[in-house]
Formats: sequence, structure tokens, C-alpha cells
Amino acid sequence: MFINAKGLWFSYGESPRPAIKNIDLGIEKGSFTAIIGHNGSGKSTLAKLLAGLLIPTEGVVTVAGKDTKNESEQFEIRKLCGMVFQNPDNQIVASVVEEDVAFAPENLGVPPAEIRKRVDDVLAAVGMEEYAKHSTYKLSGGQKQRVAIAGILAMEPDCIFFDEATSMLDPAGQRDIVAAMKKLKEEKGMTVVTITHHMNEAVEADRVVVLNHGEIYADGTPVQVFSDVRNIKRAKLNVPQVTELMYELGKSGRQCPTDVLHTMEAADRIERLFKTHDKESKQRYNP
Amino acid sequence: MTKSQNSVITLENVTVKYGAGTPFERVALDGVNISFPKNKITGIIGHTGSGKSTLATLLNGLLKPTAGVIRLEGEDIHRDKEFTNKIRFQVGLVFQYPEYQLFEETLERDIGFGPRNMGLSDDEIARRVEKAAEFTGLDAYTLKSSPFEISGGQKRRAAIAGVIAMEPSVLVLDEPAAGLDPMGKEEILGGLCDYKKKTLSTLLLISHNMEDIAKYADYILVLKEGKVFKFGSVAEIFSEADDLFNSSLDVPQITKLFIELKKRNVIDRTDIYTVGYGARAILAKLGESGL
Amino acid sequence: MIKDITIGQFFPGDSVLHKADPRFKIIALIIFLTMTLAAESTVAFLAVLFLTLALAALSKINPKVLFKSVRPLFFILIFTAVINLFFVKGETPLFKWSFIAIYKEGVINAVVMAFRLVCLVLGTSVLLSYTTSPLDMTDALERLLSPLKYLKAPVHEFSMMMTIALRFIPTLVEETDKIISAQKARGVSFDTGGLIKRVKALIPILIPLFYSAIRRAYELAEAMECRLYRGGEGRTRMKVLNVKAGDFIMIGVMLLACAGVFYLNNFELNI
Repeated sequence: MFINAKGLWFSYGESPRPAIKNIDLGIEKGSFTAIIGHNGSGKSTLAKLLAGLLIPTEGVVTVAGKDTKNESEQFEIRKLCGMVFQNPDNQIVASVVEEDVAFAPENLGVPPAEIRKRVDDVLAAVGMEEYAKHSTYKLSGGQKQRVAIAGILAMEPDCIFFDEATSMLDPAGQRDIVAAMKKLKEEKGMTVVTITHHMNEAVEADRVVVLNHGEIYADGTPVQVFSDVRNIKRAKLNVPQVTELMYELGKSGRQCPTDVLHTMEAADRIERLFKTHDKESKQRYNP
Repeated sequence: MTKSQNSVITLENVTVKYGAGTPFERVALDGVNISFPKNKITGIIGHTGSGKSTLATLLNGLLKPTAGVIRLEGEDIHRDKEFTNKIRFQVGLVFQYPEYQLFEETLERDIGFGPRNMGLSDDEIARRVEKAAEFTGLDAYTLKSSPFEISGGQKRRAAIAGVIAMEPSVLVLDEPAAGLDPMGKEEILGGLCDYKKKTLSTLLLISHNMEDIAKYADYILVLKEGKVFKFGSVAEIFSEADDLFNSSLDVPQITKLFIELKKRNVIDRTDIYTVGYGARAILAKLGESGL
Repeated sequence: MIKDITIGQFFPGDSVLHKADPRFKIIALIIFLTMTLAAESTVAFLAVLFLTLALAALSKINPKVLFKSVRPLFFILIFTAVINLFFVKGETPLFKWSFIAIYKEGVINAVVMAFRLVCLVLGTSVLLSYTTSPLDMTDALERLLSPLKYLKAPVHEFSMMMTIALRFIPTLVEETDKIISAQKARGVSFDTGGLIKRVKALIPILIPLFYSAIRRAYELAEAMECRLYRGGEGRTRMKVLNVKAGDFIMIGVMLLACAGVFYLNNFELNI
């Protein structure tokens, strides 16, 4: 396990109500995990605990074997885990794109020539190489988030967290960032964890963990988690529309398993439904 | 375009140019003609840069068009400065992420800010604040809290309440559910529909999210590159869903599904925009063959 | 609306001034300001004016933009000119009407004062603000002041603050516009009423702005820590400042010009 949380409890300040209650969770190296939940379920808090940005009130979180409570290890852990935050503006430090991306390696004391190389590489990786000398102010939300991703990649972490990083973006921007997440996992073998309440984002992950009131409510592949439509609705979340469609059709007594999340798969299923239906009705009338 | 039965706001040949005459000149809206139906919910959709936000600021008189006339109940809203200043109380505008407009010591005072600027009596202000709080689901305890102590969702409601308290006959909201989780979205949008029903006002919702618009709107205005691309009832717009899809506009997943099913000759319905309709359409077709 | 302010903005380009080492530009600017303020005789002053215009030409920046930088000064310029015209007493009266007297010296003073201001602003703009990116400026400042680190002066912190402040100026300006629009939509009027009313009207702008700025600061700090920021120690910079011969020549020319101005102060033009 790359990141391991055991018996995790967390409360903010003097708050009597814990934000995180007794969570055991392991994140495997190279996996793409989505943590979803309603507002207030604790998902952002959990992400920060897993990334070592918050210290557990009780319990242990280890990142690559290092305990996040250990002050002496905290810097090493920060090097391993980067986080892209929700507000695109509030994570950009510099007025020029390449200068912002260089921020992390500069902090690490990397020699200038090596920083230059890293900056060029990561900007290419997120498709922003043309914008290297552009002003950061004029970028769109999606572009700013890509610059933020590049800034994290420049410190060469093993793991990258996205804390509702698509919440403030328009649909096109959201699509770009989700595509970037997949690319990071597939092409760079990075461990990716995204915190979101957008279902179209969660279905792209390998694993979905559902939080409800600070506890783990469901955990499995996207299909496993979303096909239990009633369960998801009880956690105050939504399922993809096609999944809900199958659920509604199933209510009519037909065989309509809800283990479908994507448009094309659903089209296949419905097509087959009509074909078997036609066959059955033909058999009925032509025995 | 439906020449509306009963329109509350009309735009006649309205053009908005930014930076006119400079090398940075940009046409945000180009000779648009729009009639917003009274007492209905109209969704406004379009890509970033299609002119949606410009349209919003035109409607309450904040922005003056470079050319053309905007009428509220038939009257030119820019006929004189005094009239224009009153328009913003009749056409309420809630911006994106409106939480940042909160500043008073308590929510109660903040929601009353608009009414106070209208010069109303204290009793009237109190009445309006109470009503607005009720519509947005803010309880008495929260009303006494400082806007800086409450949650993001509550701030959003307070900001919307602040505009509702002016009792505008038209309410324009730019992405009112932006950044909210599914439940938060339903509460805000459902609450707004409720508000519109009870007060017989008109609602204009700007949104990127087709699934939301499909669920709550009566009419849809589609803007593309500063021009009106489509306008009609929700059913009319979705009967031409391919056009939306081909313009790279986000259509609800259920609509995409039926566009695909039509391609495969499984079922010929492309006017499906909610899951409910979709299920009914499929069951109906299955039922046709006698099973 | 507020976006039209060009003072302090950076205009990318490839002129000689753009390419010069920013540290040397700061030093050159200091020398330039010294000589502009030190020029006393008309001859010396004309030399400064000539140098300013030469620098402006070297920067290859659009004259319209340069004019825009000077425009905000018009009020001060006219005010200064008027004061000098009517209140400087000299030896050669040009015009007299009851108690109003305009002297030749006054006219010359007025003109010189006005143009001195223009040279100061224009010179600073072309030598530094318009031709140097904000980051290069703060970078250069940090490097120039770094010896002060040994005196425990917070040089790096100051520089980091400047970088972040410059980066957020356009963002905060945009946010201010948004807040103003939102409050206008709730009936606030900024251009009517007496002084007290207008000052009160600023509260719905300033409070949200401050709150937002502080929240941004917290979020930015968290993001910076996430990217391993821990102060100035051990930090390297991607940008390497390579001093070129041209930079030394620039300083040389400036020093010569400065010396020239002091020399020319001994000569006077007899108009």
C-alpha cells in the first residue's frame, strides 16, 4: 500500500463532532481512486489527511511507510504527494506560467539548468508548452488547473491529489482535467486520488470510495458502487443518468441490471433488450 | 423563435461591443432579438464566451447596450437615468459564486441591504427579509449569525435571499448551483422553482449544466458566438437535440443515449431529456409489441 | 474600467532595454533619477530631456502607450505650471496686469518643472516598469539587496511578498469590479450623495474584498507549502541572470551622462 490509514479519526479544533470517524483505507501505488461524498461528508478532510497536510487526531496515516505525525518525515512526505486545489487562482504564485511551474523545483534547490528542463517537460505533459511565457492571469480555469498540475509534476511526486479540482470549471475544462488525470495514471504510472462529487469524473477511476458523514459508506469499482442506485441516493449522491434509466426500467419487472455507466454500453444493453424482446414476441406468436 | 404570448423582457436588435474602436474590440452580442416569457423559467445555455454573462448584466440595466433597445414590460429601460436605477430592483441579478457579496454584521442585515437601498420602511424590510429567508431555507438562528461564520452552502442561500428580498418580478441567476453537490443543487434549484411558483415571477437561469436545465426549465435560449442559436420550449429544443450535440454543447447523458439509439434504429425518439421520459419511451415502445 | 491603468504594466518586447540585466537597469535608473533631479541649468535640463527621449526610442514601445503613462500627470503638471507662472518672481517681467505679473523666469521654471516630472515618469517607465517583467524586477531587487541578508534583513521575504502582490493585482482588480457589480445590483450608488454617503458606500466593497483577500492568502499559503516552500534558504532560481558587456556599457553611459549634467549645470542658456 502506498498510502495507508488505520483507525483514522479527525476533529477540527475544539469541535465535538469528528469530521472523520474510524476510517481504515489503503491506496495502492499506481491506482486511480475517486473519493466521493456529499458536502460535509469529510472527503476533503480525508484527502488532506492522506496527503499528510493534516495530522490525525487519532490513528495513523503512513505514506510510503512514513508516518505523517512524524515532524522529521513531513517534508519527505510532501515531496511524495502533491495536491491540486479547488480554486485555480489561489494556487498560482507567479505572473508568468513557466515561473509558476518552476516554483517547486526552486524550493528544492534544484540547479537552474535542471529546473529549465523539468519545466519544459511538464508543460509539454499537460499540453501547455505554448503558454510558457504567457501571463497566468489571462488563462481560462481549465488552463490554470493544468498549470497547477504542471507545477506539482515539476517536483516529481509519486502521488497527486485533486481536491475538487474540477468544481469551478466549465464542462470543457472539467473534461480536460479528467483526461489529464487519466494520462497521469496511465502514462506516468502515478498514483492519482480525486475528490469530487461529479459522477462523470468518478466513473473514470479504477476505484470509488464513498464517504457519508465521515465514514466509509461504499468502496469498490465504479460499476460496483454505482449499480446500487438506492444506496447511492441514500448517501445524497447521484448516479449517471443511464444507470438510473436501467434502474427505472428494472422497476417494471424486466431484467435490467444496473451495472452500466456509460452511454455506449447502455445503448448496447437497450439494443439487446429490444432484440430479445422482439425474439420473445416472435416466438410467442410463431411457436 | 416563439414570438411570445406574454413577454416580460424583450431585447430588440441588441448589440454589445467591448472596447469599440480599439484594436481589442470584441462583439459580445450581435444584433440579438429575444423575448423572455412571463412567469416561466427560461434556461440560458451556451459556451463560455457565447454572451451569457453579458446578457445577464444587460437585463438589470447594469450594462448599456452599444445598440438596440431593452424593454421591461414594454418600457425602454434606458429611457432615463432614474428609471434605469429603479430597474435593478425589478430585475434581480445574482452573479456566479455570489457568496462574496455578503458583508454585513448579520445575515439578517445583509439580506435587508437591498430593501434598505430601496428606501422601504423598517417593517416592510423585516417582512421581506423573513420571507426571503423562508424561501431559501435559512432559519432564525442562522439569520442572526455573521456571514463569515456560516458554511458555503448557507452563504449561497443568503446571497440569493438578499436579491429575492427586493421582490423583483424577474430574477436572473448566473449558475446558481455552481460548485454545489447534487443535494445542494436540488435544494437551491428546487427552492427557486418554488419561489417562482409562489410569487408568480419570471426566472432566467444561466447554466452550463444541461441536465439541470432540462429538469427545471420551461423554455431554453441557446446562445452561440453572441447570437441566438435557438429559442423554444424545452420539448422543442430537445426535438432538435442533434443540433445541440453537433455544436459541442453538453447535452444530458440520457439525450446522448437516445441519439445513439436512433442511429442504431432501435427507437426513434430524440426529444428525450430526462430519465423519466426515457424510461417511459422505452417501456411504451416495448409495450407496443404486445408484451 | 480599472483595467485601463497602464502604470506599472509590463509590455513584452525585444529591445535593448528589454534584454538588459534588470539589476543593472535598477542601478541605471537610480543614476538617471539623480541626474534628472540634479539638473539645474536649462542646458543641463535639455540634455536630460534628450536622454529621456533617446531611452524611450530605444525601448521600442508604442508612443501612444508612453503617452498614456504621462496622461495621469496632466493635472499635476498644469497645477505646477500655473504656480510657477504666477508666483515665481524674477527679473524680467513679460506681462503685467494689476497685481498679476508673469516673469520670464517663471515661464522657464514652469516649463522645466513640468518636463522634469515627465522625464521622471517616462524614464522610470521605459527603463524599468514597461521593459522589465514583474518577476525580473523583484528578482533583481532581491539579488541587489541580498548582501543585507547578513544584517538579518528579510530580503527574500520582501521579494516573495512583492512577487505575490504583483501577481494578484489584476486578480483583485477583477474581483473588485465583480463586487461592485453585485452591490450595484442590490441598489448601491457610488456617484450620488454627499461625502459621508459615498464613503459609506465603500463598506460593501471593502469588507468582502478584505475577507476574500485573506482567504486567498490562506489558500495560497497552503498551496505553497504543498509545493515545498519553506522560506528563502536553499532556494535556487530557474532564471539565470547573465551579465553582458552591454549592461556595463549602459551603466557607463549613464554615469557619463550624469557627470555631463553636473558639468552642464555651470552653463546657462540666454534666451
